[in-house]
This record gives sequence, C-alpha cells and structure tokens, in this order.
Amino acid sequence: MKPLLRVRGLRTSFKTGRTVARAVDDVSFDLLPGETLGIVGESGSGKTVTALSLLRLIQTPPGHIAEESVVEYNGVNLLELPAKELRRVRGAEISMVFQEPTTSLNPVLTVGSQIAETLRAHRVISRRSAAARTIGLLRRVGIPEPEIRTRHYPHQMSGGMQQRVMIAMALACEPKILIADEPTTALDVTIQAQILELLADLKRQLGMAMLLITHDLGVVAGIADRVAVMYGGQIVEEGPTAALFTNPAHPYTEALLRAAPRLDAPTARLPVIPGAVPPATRWPTGCRFHPRCRHAWERCTAEPPPPLATPTEQRARCWLVDEPVRRKP
Amino acid sequence: MTRLLRGLWLERQARWGLVLVAALCGLAVLAPWIAPYDPAAQLDLAQGQYLAPSTLHPFGTDFYSRDLLSRVLYGARISLSIAFLSVLVSITVGTAVGMTAGLAGGAVDRLLMRGVDAALAVPRVFLLLVVVALWEGVSVTGLIVVLGLTSWFGTSRIVRAEVLSLRQRTYITAARALGVGPRRLALRHLLPNLAAPVIVAATLGIGQIILIEASLSYLGVGVPPPTPSWGSIIQEGQQALAVAPWVATFPGLAIVATVIGFSLLGDGLRDTLDPTTR
Repeated sequence: MKPLLRVRGLRTSFKTGRTVARAVDDVSFDLLPGETLGIVGESGSGKTVTALSLLRLIQTPPGHIAEESVVEYNGVNLLELPAKELRRVRGAEISMVFQEPTTSLNPVLTVGSQIAETLRAHRVISRRSAAARTIGLLRRVGIPEPEIRTRHYPHQMSGGMQQRVMIAMALACEPKILIADEPTTALDVTIQAQILELLADLKRQLGMAMLLITHDLGVVAGIADRVAVMYGGQIVEEGPTAALFTNPAHPYTEALLRAAPRLDAPTARLPVIPGAVPPATRWPTGCRFHPRCRHAWERCTAEPPPPLATPTEQRARCWLVDEPVRRKP
Repeated sequence: MTRLLRGLWLERQARWGLVLVAALCGLAVLAPWIAPYDPAAQLDLAQGQYLAPSTLHPFGTDFYSRDLLSRVLYGARISLSIAFLSVLVSITVGTAVGMTAGLAGGAVDRLLMRGVDAALAVPRVFLLLVVVALWEGVSVTGLIVVLGLTSWFGTSRIVRAEVLSLRQRTYITAARALGVGPRRLALRHLLPNLAAPVIVAATLGIGQIILIEASLSYLGVGVPPPTPSWGSIIQEGQQALAVAPWVATFPGLAIVATVIGFSLLGDGLRDTLDPTTR
C-alpha cells in the first residue's frame, strides 16, 4: 500500500545561545491509510517536536528544520510548501489534538465559535450552517446537550469535555490524518479510556490514519497497529505492535517494557533504566543509548547503528541485530 | 458584563471607583437639566462678581459673575468627553502598533519599539505644547486627536509584551495547526485576549488625560474660552486665588475625584479581569 505520509530524514534543531539542541535527528517513518502508528518515548525523546515539525508548527528561529528533510503527504513535500497552501493542509487534511485541553482551547471564545473557526478557515460556509454543524460535531464526540454546550466557555467544562471539544475541532473538516500528541496525559484514568475509545471509534468511522504520540505503553498496546519507539531524537525501534511487544529487539524497548507495571505478573519493585536521558545538546557518540545499555560493547560507543531489519519484522537501531550473540541473558 | 460588574462591586476599592465614575458621568450627561444657570451667562456684572458659595450659588461665582456650579457641571462634559475620546484614539493606535510589533517581530518590531522609546523620552506636556503651538487655533476635536496621538506609546508596549507571551500559548499553536490564517489569528484569537490589559490601560489613561487637558487649559493652550473645561476654570480662578479661592478649588476637587475614581476602577478591573487572580 502507498503510504499516506512519508517522513524521511527529519531533523529539527533549536539554537539557544551558542549551543544547538538536536531534538529530532534523522527520523523516518511511513503512515499508511487508515492505520494507527504509535510513537512512544520518554520526555525529551523528541516525540512532540516530531509531531510539530510535520505541520511546520515549530517556531523559527530558534527552531530549524533541516533543508534535506522530507515530509511527504500525497506526494507533496509539506516542508517546501508555500505558507498559504500549507494552511489548506492544516486542519483539513492533517489535524492535530494537543496534550492539555485546558491550555489548547482559547479561554475567551465559546467552544462553539472555536469549532466553527476550523470550519470557516477551510470552507465557504455561512455562520448559521457552521453553527449547526458545530452542534452535530459536539454530539458526535459525545457531549450531552450540545445546543447548550456550544455557547459555553472552556472553563465551564471538565478536562475530559474540553478534550472532546478539541477532538471535535480537529475532526471538523474530516481530515485524512489525525496527529494526537499525548491526548490523554492530562486526564484521569477513566476519562483516558473514554477518550481513547472515542478516538478509535471516530478513526474507524472516518477512515482516518492516526499518529498517536504517548509515553504510555498500555495506550499503544491497546490501539496502535504499529509502534515506533523514540530515544534521543531518533526512532530506535519500529514494528508491528504485537511483534514489538513480544520480541523487543532494542535493549531500550526491552527495558521500557520491563519497567511497565503488569497486571498478570505483579512484582514488588519495578526494574528501572539506570541513568537519565542525555541532553539534546550533547548526544553520546555511537549508539545514543550505550551509556545506559547493559549489553553495550566497543562498537556501540564508536559507530552509530543504522536501522537494521530484524527477523521478526521490526527495524532497530542496535548492533545486537547484527551480532545477536552479544546479547546478555 | 454583569459578571464583571458584580466582581467589581465585591471589591471595596473598585466599588468606590465604580460609584465615583458613575456619579461623575451621570452628572456630566445630566448637566443641562441639573445646572441651575447657563454656564456662559454673565448674571450680574455689577454686583455678582466673585460671590462666595451660598444657597443661591452653591459653588459661588467667577469674575464674570457666572455660576460656578453650572460651569463645573458643563466642564465635566467637555473634560470627560475629551478624555474618553482621546483614550479611544490612543488605545486603538496603541493596540494596532503593539500587535504589529509583537506579531511581525524582527526589524519591524525593533523599528516600532525604538520609535516608541524615543517618543517616551520626550516630556509629554512639552510635546503637546509644541504641537498645539504649531497648530493655530486648535479646536476641541483637534485637541482630542493631538492628546490621543501622543498618549498611545505606553499602551503599545503593554500590548506588544502581551502578544509576545500569548503567541507562545498552546491554543494559538492549536489554531495554527487547524489552518487558521494569520489575519484571523490576530483578530479573532489574539485580540479578545488583549481586552483585559487594554481596558485597564484605558481606565488609567482617562485619569491622566484629564490631568493633561487641565494643565494645557491652565497654560492657556487647551480648550478655547468661553467653553468651560475644568482646566480652563482653574486657570481663570488662579488669578483670583486670594480673593475668591473657590473658583479654582471646585474644579480642582472635581479633577481629584475623577482621577481617584478612574484609578480605583482601573485597579479593580485589573484584579477582576486577570484570570490568575480569580
């Protein structure tokens, strides 16, 4: 199948004073029509910057997306598109839902008028029919009494409701791709489940592809078809969800899975990954994970591993794929 | 709006400000009905000069035997309208310049802000005197324009700073992510968020403009006679301060009340409009 979104060699850096932070450094992936790709990684791994770079929402300066990076949607490189045409893609073809609903809704506009804004940005539509469609959208994302709610301000709603409004805004023009950047992080657990279910439902109904960014492996396991694990501004491992979860090829993925609490095998203490994510201004030489890796040997400190194909359909940036005998038990 | 008024009413200082401002505006509007005399009428040039306050003339009379209460009431109309309209001009220009600078950034921002810095370095009354002196026979409309165009510098700075901070908010990125264009973003998404600081700047600005208009009139380059403005009444009364102190005192008190009223209201508005203090 031809990918809907083709990302190749994406590099985004930020210049602060004399240092340069390479927040996203050579990220490549494909998003197929109708599929859900989960991007996981801890804070500072470059997930959000990747998402923002796709639609050129990085503030430049201080941000900078390398000229040779490619973000191809329908055969067009979005990174080279004139601003006016890019605006036609944003919201209409590719939409985005943000992490914190409380801060991603404008406090001084009613939720109805904010949803109508997306409609009016892309379609020639009268005020009245925009209002009618807004009520329909609110109903669709499961907000009770949409006729009343449409006139409310964001602060009159709960976090879960606000996130539903944000989703309604993002889906107003029925985009082909939805980028969801940690859509449930700011919500409590029961609401999280509801929002994820809503996203999965809407995705099916509209036949969208979804790029789900999260640090929660459980969320990814539940709804993603494929998973990409990010570390140090790179995708260190990528593959079908089931394969990646049962046979993690990269030691980082393995360690992440081991650090996640499991209901079927409760333990007193969860194992942790020693050390911390290095700052984006000073990535380690060779493999970026080697200072924290229990398998690391000389090759890992010297040569950065490229994405290597594993026997179980994944691709991992790890020399262990090349030399499996080095893997410690 | 009702929520805002209730919030203001609940704060003690703001309530005083609200009452004072409402009373002054009410008196100004109702001046033709409550003023006992025509403010320009010279009642009795032979025996009516500089009469002390009495039941007949609660504020006394001036050199031309005009009733001072009527003049102060009519003066409120002039002084307050000049203040309102000049502030309207100044916040409009200030907001436009501040938003342009904040949104455009780079060279445009630097150029505009250095210009504002330079303008702020010139003493305001001096600047006004030069402009008014060059402009022969300045009318009330002219005065409003001149006052408005020389008092937006501070507002533009406040607005620029606010825009720089608002630009970073997630909801602005979210609006951009959903395809909202730059003009709509500025007018629909940013502008309403600027209302609070701009309204506060405006209320505080009204007090200042009243003072400046008074000093200009006092210096004899403000509102042309015989139209009464508070400043011009004080100027006329100054010559007779020893014989008839009431002439300068009553319009002076009116100015003090207005400035206090708007300052209290402005402080109160800042507290009620700022969501972080709610």
